[in-house]
Amino acid sequence: MPWDIETRAVASHAPTRVELTFSRTAILCEETGVNSLKIGISGVRGVVGETFTPELAVSFAQAFGTYLDSGRILVCRDTRASGAMVQAAVFSGLLAAGCEVVDLGVCPTPSLQLAVRRLQAEGGISITAGHNPEPWNALKFVRSDGLYLNAAQADELLDIFHQAEFAKARWGEIRGKVERQDAIAHHLEILSRAFDVEAIRARRLTVAVDCCNSSCSLLSPRWLDALGCDVLAVNDDPAAPFPHAPEPGRQTMAQLRAVALAGRADVGFAHDADGERLGIVTETGEMLSEEATLALAAEIELGREVGLVVTNISTSAVVERVAARHGASVVRTPVGQAFVSEAMLEFGGVVGGEGSGGVVVPRVQWTHDSAAAVGLILEYMARTGEPISKLAAALPRFEMLKHNIPVEPDRIHSLLQRMHDELEREQLDYDQTDGIKVSWPDGWAHVRVSNTESMIRIIAEAETAARARELLDWARDRVVK
Amino acid sequence: MMRAIPTLKISISGVRGVVGESLTPTLLVRFAQAFGTYTGAGTIIIGRDTRTSGEMVRQAVVAGLLSSGCRVVDLDICPVPTVQLLVRERRARGGIAITASHNPAEWNALKFVNSAGLFLADAQARQLLDIYHQGEYRKVAGAQMRAVELSAGALDLHVKVILDALGALPRATRDGRQLRVAVDSCNGAGSIVAPRLLAALGVKVVPINVTPDGLFPRGAEPVEENLGALCAVVREHGCDVGFAQDMDADRLAIVSERGEAIGEEYTLALAARYVLGREPGAVVANLATTSALDAVARSFGCPLYRSKIGEANVAEEMLRRQAVIGGEGNGGVMYPRINFARDSLVGMALVLHLLAGTGRTISELMAELPRSYILKEKMACPSDRIRAALRMVRDVYAPWPMDLRDGVRVTTPAGWFLVRGSNTEPMIRIVAEADTGERARRMIEDVRARVRACLDARDDEIRNRDESKKVRS
Repeated sequence: MPWDIETRAVASHAPTRVELTFSRTAILCEETGVNSLKIGISGVRGVVGETFTPELAVSFAQAFGTYLDSGRILVCRDTRASGAMVQAAVFSGLLAAGCEVVDLGVCPTPSLQLAVRRLQAEGGISITAGHNPEPWNALKFVRSDGLYLNAAQADELLDIFHQAEFAKARWGEIRGKVERQDAIAHHLEILSRAFDVEAIRARRLTVAVDCCNSSCSLLSPRWLDALGCDVLAVNDDPAAPFPHAPEPGRQTMAQLRAVALAGRADVGFAHDADGERLGIVTETGEMLSEEATLALAAEIELGREVGLVVTNISTSAVVERVAARHGASVVRTPVGQAFVSEAMLEFGGVVGGEGSGGVVVPRVQWTHDSAAAVGLILEYMARTGEPISKLAAALPRFEMLKHNIPVEPDRIHSLLQRMHDELEREQLDYDQTDGIKVSWPDGWAHVRVSNTESMIRIIAEAETAARARELLDWARDRVVK
Repeated sequence: MMRAIPTLKISISGVRGVVGESLTPTLLVRFAQAFGTYTGAGTIIIGRDTRTSGEMVRQAVVAGLLSSGCRVVDLDICPVPTVQLLVRERRARGGIAITASHNPAEWNALKFVNSAGLFLADAQARQLLDIYHQGEYRKVAGAQMRAVELSAGALDLHVKVILDALGALPRATRDGRQLRVAVDSCNGAGSIVAPRLLAALGVKVVPINVTPDGLFPRGAEPVEENLGALCAVVREHGCDVGFAQDMDADRLAIVSERGEAIGEEYTLALAARYVLGREPGAVVANLATTSALDAVARSFGCPLYRSKIGEANVAEEMLRRQAVIGGEGNGGVMYPRINFARDSLVGMALVLHLLAGTGRTISELMAELPRSYILKEKMACPSDRIRAALRMVRDVYAPWPMDLRDGVRVTTPAGWFLVRGSNTEPMIRIVAEADTGERARRMIEDVRARVRACLDARDDEIRNRDESKKVRS
């Protein structure tokens, strides 16, 4: 086993179509401009004005209403300009299917997920393409426990969608109104109960935050305010367009870094469009990789309580290193939040998430919640009095490289099969949780099929850039040979 | 066996269907996209009546319009004529009224308004249908999508334009007291605005059925058999007049101070009397409207022109004739100086001004009109047989003068009758008018029996053919 750490893999419940929302494939689609619609377990995602049409949104809403047997459904959206259109289509489809529709307006997806349980709804639809650029939009489907549909449930929803025989409410049954409710106050209440608010207030931390002009503008500054922080908010106008790609990472945090440095902030946080992913800037102005967010959260939580960490197969090995320091183990799942959530519930994880910057803090809920991650980090800083840079410096450093190979649709699976066969012949160990992952003592390479495009994706990670390059080339040679 | 009559009707009058069956959100979204493609990016005014399915339909329409790049101004619950008024006021590219007017509660529909605030004319509607069927709609990128503007002031504006044009009422009943007016809005789109307008005109209002919940308290058409409650209220409260609206508040019927429904045909006749007394000019009405209107026009020396049935046709003829007033015998009054649309609110204001100005009662005003009796019938008839039935009527009544612009209108010494296929349902409609009720009834019965026989004969013919096939095989 690499890193001398026990690593367990959760068996994949379904074949390759279960690639989930938080893969980067959607962005890649946009770059190449082909096949810009993704209908799969993550819901339905596409470019508005091209593939993501109001008919599609209506039909999916009808299918979801049919799937949930016409119960109460909550709907929220992020601030994309297409949100009003998609929301109207979703309302219409749900009403036609006989649902009681509750409109949460613009709010983060995690706020909706908490509200689903509080309001005893049958489910929810979050209208957001998360980290995808502004031209995109998507429907993400939440079930009655506030988690995303799992693979089997998503398959069932897709079958209903494809069958296209939807529940139809007659005039005497159809709801004549969409009720408006707020989800953010309750989210703040849950957050306040989950963390040591008094301790954080006592430190009077200065915190810079970039809300990407999206739904976190309505949550994050209020949460920081409740924590007694001096808040330096940028891009917190939900009426304005996205100032940069709504994906926290080194390439989007320059402005946050400048604000954090100028305001002598103790830490800077960057949100994505719907409040799932978090990026971090230290007080010294270092923009951490989005892969570091989960590692930091794991370091903090494992320091309080040793237990399982759950993450996907493509996330940095830093997580194993951190877990090893605390004598904890890591469960790896296929890529996707639903898998992480379900594995956490199944194995009782203490913290989980994905390399994209999404963190699951079970004290708050069993799904990515960037406001919960903020609470976790600030609580740690308050309790220890240590600067964030010190915590970050203690993380092992790796180099990660990513590469995509366009392949004709009819060849894509046979290429992967050939790689399987070859690895069998070479008698190399590999992990089939999601695609093929091969590990060496000093690094790993992961090869899998993109569901959104005719493309194979390769990720390699090692301690040095040269070695990562070598592993990436090794994997690529086996694919394109 | 006769096949089931479809619940979806896509025609030049718009798209209409039964909620929970044929009128799906997908269909509605597509029609809204087709309309947005037809108008191009620009402001579109939308409004709806109070039907329970109204919210579902509205959201589908909003989604389709936004997707095609339109800016949506949403008036929420309002009369159809308010949508038409606002299209002109806001210089919008068009409008969509969400209402199935007089159809029962399970129906809903989209009616399309052009940039002049008029319902799409034939050619325009055909173009829209072509776009719909072609299925290639204008799509704008997410970043170019507009938001929905909720317009709260539309009803107030509607009241204001009426008051500005006609003024408050002179205090002039015979005994100098305030007029007392009962109004029945059928829990429809007029529920909010009708009492507001009447109060603004300075009358005492006795409202019934003004809860805008879409639960029909009575038959939606403002015809005599549906107005029992209003008649009782008029008698009970000693009202000078009772007004009844339909669901979308374009049509108006009147109840006299005696608590008798005078018939929706006479709304236009009374309104025309007031308007022509102040500004003589051409009058336009459809082919099915009472001949009492001819008498009113004649008494002011004004010409009356007839048009095909349907608001769009009447409007077109009014434009051509530069009419000062026009409308339809179903209670639709169009007074272009205020709102070029069938507008029950305008109708109420005109009739109240007539009452206050003349100091006469509804019964007295009615007594001054030539008394005639108009009867209306409808018969279920598959759309593909309507033509044969009409041909039969044309042949049988060939000796009498006829107008064939819309169905068959026959003038006999006893009166006139009109037989035509409905634009909105698989029905044949028959209207007859004579100087006695008995004569009108006899005309209707005669026509109905012949149409029935014609349809039965065709049934027999088909049955015989089927049976002879069986025998042969």
